[in-house]
Amino acid sequence: MALNKFRTKSPWILHYNAGSCNGCDIEILACLAPKYDIERFGMINTGNPKQSDIMLVTGPVTKRSRERLVDIYSQMPEPKVVIACGSCGCSGGVFRGMYNCEGGIDQYIPVDVYVPGCGCRPEQIIAGVVEALAILEKKTKDMEGSVKLHNDPIEQDGQTNRREVAAVI
Amino acid sequence: MSTQYNIPVGAQHISLLEPLHFKFTTENEKIIKTEANVGYVHRGIEQACCSKFKFRQVSFVVGRVCGLCSISHTTCYSQVAEKLLKLDIPKRAKYLRMLVIELDRIHSHLLCLSHVAENSGFEALFMKTMRHREFSMELLEAVCGNRIQYDFSIIGGVARDLRTDVAQSILDKFKIFRPQLDELVDIYKTNWSLSLKNKGIGVLSKEDAIRLNVVGPFARASGLGVDVRNETEELLPWKEVGFEIITDTAGDVHARNMVRLKEIYVSMKIIENIINGLPEGDLISDTKAFPEGEAVNRIEAPRGELFYYAKGNKTQVLERLKIKAPTFSNIPAMVETFTNNEYASVPAIIGSYDPCLSCTSR
Amino acid sequence: MNRIETSFENLKKDIAAFYKPQAHHFITMNGVDLGNDVIEYQWFFCDYAFPSDITMFVTRANVDVQVPSIKNIIVSAWLPEAELVDLLGVNIEDTQKGFVLELDSETAPLRKK
Repeated sequence: MALNKFRTKSPWILHYNAGSCNGCDIEILACLAPKYDIERFGMINTGNPKQSDIMLVTGPVTKRSRERLVDIYSQMPEPKVVIACGSCGCSGGVFRGMYNCEGGIDQYIPVDVYVPGCGCRPEQIIAGVVEALAILEKKTKDMEGSVKLHNDPIEQDGQTNRREVAAVI
Repeated sequence: MSTQYNIPVGAQHISLLEPLHFKFTTENEKIIKTEANVGYVHRGIEQACCSKFKFRQVSFVVGRVCGLCSISHTTCYSQVAEKLLKLDIPKRAKYLRMLVIELDRIHSHLLCLSHVAENSGFEALFMKTMRHREFSMELLEAVCGNRIQYDFSIIGGVARDLRTDVAQSILDKFKIFRPQLDELVDIYKTNWSLSLKNKGIGVLSKEDAIRLNVVGPFARASGLGVDVRNETEELLPWKEVGFEIITDTAGDVHARNMVRLKEIYVSMKIIENIINGLPEGDLISDTKAFPEGEAVNRIEAPRGELFYYAKGNKTQVLERLKIKAPTFSNIPAMVETFTNNEYASVPAIIGSYDPCLSCTSR
Repeated sequence: MNRIETSFENLKKDIAAFYKPQAHHFITMNGVDLGNDVIEYQWFFCDYAFPSDITMFVTRANVDVQVPSIKNIIVSAWLPEAELVDLLGVNIEDTQKGFVLELDSETAPLRKK
């Protein structure tokens, strides 16, 4: 479909702050600004999870923001890529072990690219996003690939039983 | 009576950098009631500072309270710890602390101004302000070694010296930046389409500012001249380096923009005075004592008054550390100022508050 | 720093007599656990004209005693009060739990174990 072709070339970004110190968030904002200019890779920042392909998450997940994180992640359409920005997003960082922190985004949602640093530099964020583009392309290809069935559907009591059938990609 | 609608904004929204939840009750597009939920970023830093970290490590931990004003947090904690240790710091260290605080204020104010422009729907001005802001990030990297999270102030002084070539490059870049700032002031002041979203929107009167104990540029735009730099001389000699207070009377979004822009001029003047009159001497003074007793300290962060209370008990670990961030004082006024504004003006008003939620809930 | 000792009975009266909205800035309210279930409550004020004078109202009480609220004297005091209810697990007049902590968070994290 034509839509998929364009999506690999211009992915849209969703940014969510799951309890970080704002440091990585202003560096993401600096990426959108003219000096680093992430838009030359065809990316724009969008506020709508239903139109996004790449999710940039910062911060150790605090107990109040974890539901929103999972909620926003589940609203994004497949294929999607998650980037954890900053030391505290990767592992909890300095906040690891504090009583209201969960210690990293991968405790709740699968993370594809980790961007280290406190705070992570714009160059690092751009490198992470470019890596995410390759992952997004691979995921798209996997989804579009032909699906082979494990077993043939069986006739049982005059009906077709597909319960035992599993698809491999 | 017409129908009332409840409109939620947040926790994730394009106009918010941070998780913050507002619930607006509107009637004919007018907001009549606001509820705010500001506790999304609570991490438990105060408890960790009093149990997990030793008092010399805490100055690096409190920098992670907020990425925008981390130098204010580390300096304020260092000063309160020096009061507990009864330690005097060298004069050169004081001047270098003021230099980085003012550079940080320039980048924070420009970020806030660009955020207001973006939320008002003026995307080109957002890009222009962000482009002019990059020079302050480069200077901060040259002075401190990192773009954000400087870890510049430590207990007893500062961690790095100011090299002469870096000092010269600050003065050179200011020469380039000053005409750019003049151009920005002209746009923010006279642009007609921006004034539709900014003038007369989100007004906080002086009486309300006094009643609700507002601090920072938010209060100064309403005519309440409260600035910690104007008040204390004992720890950082602000008057000596040419500080002057900026106030406005209108109290709307436009007045807050103007106060921030004029404060950038004052910050540039302070930095030039510091570089031209930087005293010689040590960077750090040390002691083997342990913190004892209790002390309070206040400092002017980019968003207003930052307050620390610390209590020590002659061990490596503090007994209590209380952080009162500027936005924490402003939230009661923020919630009230939305009333009688149109719902379409909400993003611009939120941007003009310059809220810092990671400071507020820590 | 001026330290004024007060008690829960006199707190509202003392603060109402001291606080002039035109002259004083309410900074914040704080609580310190002194051990043995005794909590020291502090209210900080500063003067607009003489700002280096910070006035601190201090009182001590057991954890179970209800703390009087100063919301009707100083409107913006609801925020520090709501925070202290969560972080110290104390009982303040007209203040609900749940400002920063979730249901499965540690209760009263700033209290001594």
